[in-house]
Amino acid sequence: MNDTHFKRMKDLPSTHLLGTGTPMCAGCGGLQAINDIYDILGEKTVFINAAGCMTLLSVYPFTPFRGSWLYTAMASAPAGAQGVRDALDILLEKKKIGQEENLTAVVLTGDGSAYGMGLSATSAAIDRNLDFIYICYDNEGYGNTGQQYSSATPHGARTSTSSGSMGYPGFKKDLFSIWAAHKPTYVATVIGAEPLDLARKIEKAAQLKGPRFIITLSPCPTGWGFDPQETMQIGKLAVKSGVWPLKEYIDGKIIHTKVPKIRMSVEDYLATQFRFAHLFKPERNTRLIDEIQGRVDEYWDHVS
Amino acid sequence: MYRIRFHGRGGQGMKTAGRILGTAFFNEGYEVQDAPRYGAERRGAPIFSYVRADKKPIDERGIITNPDLIIVADDSLVNIPAAGVMQGLNEHAVLLINSRETAETWQNRLGTKINIIVLPVNSSVPNPAEMPFIGAACVGAAARLLGVVGQSALVDAIHEELQDQGPDIIKANCDRALEAFEYMALYENCVQQRQAASALDYQQPEWIRPVFEKARIAAPTIHAGLTSVQVKTGLWRTLCPIIEYDRCNRCWWICSSACPHNAINVDGSTPVIDYDHCVGCMVCVAQCPPHAISAIPEAEADSEIKKSMQQLAH
Ligand SMILES: Cc1ncc(C[n+]2csc(CCOP(=O)(O)OP(=O)(O)O)c2C)c(N)n1
Ligand code: SF4
Ligand SMILES: [Mg+2]
Repeated sequence: MNDTHFKRMKDLPSTHLLGTGTPMCAGCGGLQAINDIYDILGEKTVFINAAGCMTLLSVYPFTPFRGSWLYTAMASAPAGAQGVRDALDILLEKKKIGQEENLTAVVLTGDGSAYGMGLSATSAAIDRNLDFIYICYDNEGYGNTGQQYSSATPHGARTSTSSGSMGYPGFKKDLFSIWAAHKPTYVATVIGAEPLDLARKIEKAAQLKGPRFIITLSPCPTGWGFDPQETMQIGKLAVKSGVWPLKEYIDGKIIHTKVPKIRMSVEDYLATQFRFAHLFKPERNTRLIDEIQGRVDEYWDHVS
Repeated sequence: MYRIRFHGRGGQGMKTAGRILGTAFFNEGYEVQDAPRYGAERRGAPIFSYVRADKKPIDERGIITNPDLIIVADDSLVNIPAAGVMQGLNEHAVLLINSRETAETWQNRLGTKINIIVLPVNSSVPNPAEMPFIGAACVGAAARLLGVVGQSALVDAIHEELQDQGPDIIKANCDRALEAFEYMALYENCVQQRQAASALDYQQPEWIRPVFEKARIAAPTIHAGLTSVQVKTGLWRTLCPIIEYDRCNRCWWICSSACPHNAINVDGSTPVIDYDHCVGCMVCVAQCPPHAISAIPEAEADSEIKKSMQQLAH
């Protein structure tokens, strides 16, 4: 990646575009990533947002964005993006606006929308080769409504709707592969705790056309149960333990952008969060911990 | 009827505290209403919880503006107008406050002679606002002040409301509640109930009739960007990060990109904290390589901020 503007941490933007004063939780990993992403996408963007925590970014009459914001139902953000793109294209064609006034349509949704309710609308938008960027901040549950489980919730995690001793019985859906299987222009996973990797991927996505997708794992102090100041450490642990592989899909190929040299044990990651506390107390659930480790190992066994 | 109002910050467990007290009253044979109130804001923002209890059916509704007992889990809320701690404070009311300071200090500060009772902050806790199980402590203390909620009703209520939290957490909450209950023995039964309001006393507010403008389309459109900066989310902070500039390496790209709330500006290559909008997550404190940022309880922060700014000026 020699053509990137972001060679070292020092190259990251020192002025930030997103306004302060938003009502997100202290230490919100989703907000952290969105901040970094917005700095690189820039002001010439329209955000199309499906209901979730980030809807509270723009609560009338306050907005942290410099440009427009459109709110949609949970299942329909990509359809909203189609409307915005079409409107812009018509205005461009009729010369009502010039190229310099063109904007990028950016969908912003949580995992509840991206992995679940909005998946069908997303699939259809890729079919239509919609020119847009989709950002999913994945806090692994329905955060805004009190962290119920979603299809992004990891196996064994406690949520308000999986509060038994085994946690969530299902498995985190592999949305990266589902999206990549549609052969869109670009798909990438990122995390706020790895800002350089994030910046390079957003930079790349911004230069391309067509449907482009970003999933950012978003450590959520409120929903996951940890002290807000640990957001970065937990994000880094997610990468180092192999739980959150950083990768991209482009030109039909999947590339892992940060392969942990020595993978830490998932236990080190799980133990940091209250949602996994039942795996360790009152007694250690070795079977479940080993099962989770086994799945992570199996994933990396297939990465060449 | 008893009217109790809890004040805390998002994340301190005031919603649960209200529920526990409501259930404890219920266990004692009372009719109960309990309801939390919070906005779109998150952790750190002021939140309220209301409990009404009576031996007769309760007809009153809505937020409590004439409390018999006000419980303040976090004394830094008193200065924040939006937290409304002082609302409806009358001579009859009792104010229970979690604080390091004495009741007398609070009486002088607030210029009031009302009955103020301090729930002392455990001095081993660095940040009073983060005192573990503070909600349970507040409920335990409140039960004793009310004098009509006994220990077993209290313990049962904690079990009932926290049943999916596991035995360790339930036990810790019970311990904290009973400890506070014990501590308040001297003030038992100091909260007096009052008559339920009568519909006959209802006074209609002075309604304001808005004048509508002639408009073809009306929509809640925001015409300017960046308006959120007008919201001073710095008020949610309970811990305050202070940069010691003598130790700061000027590696701004670490703290400034890590701050989830964009509250660290970069001036040349010097990071400067925007205290109007820092919500006190302490991510910067955890990330700073030379440990040049420290976390100070908000109540003691003013002088430290001044010192830090002076260092910066030199
Ligand atoms: C169709 C529909 N169902 C339910 C809701 C209520 N709702 C609002 S936000 C939300 C949670 C969304 O979860 P996610 O997309 O993961 O975003 P997060 O809240 O975690 O940021 C829900 C269920 C809604 N707005 N629309
Ligand atoms: S609930 Fe989680 S994702 Fe939502 S604002 Fe709070 S920290 Fe962020
Ligand atoms: Mg979510």
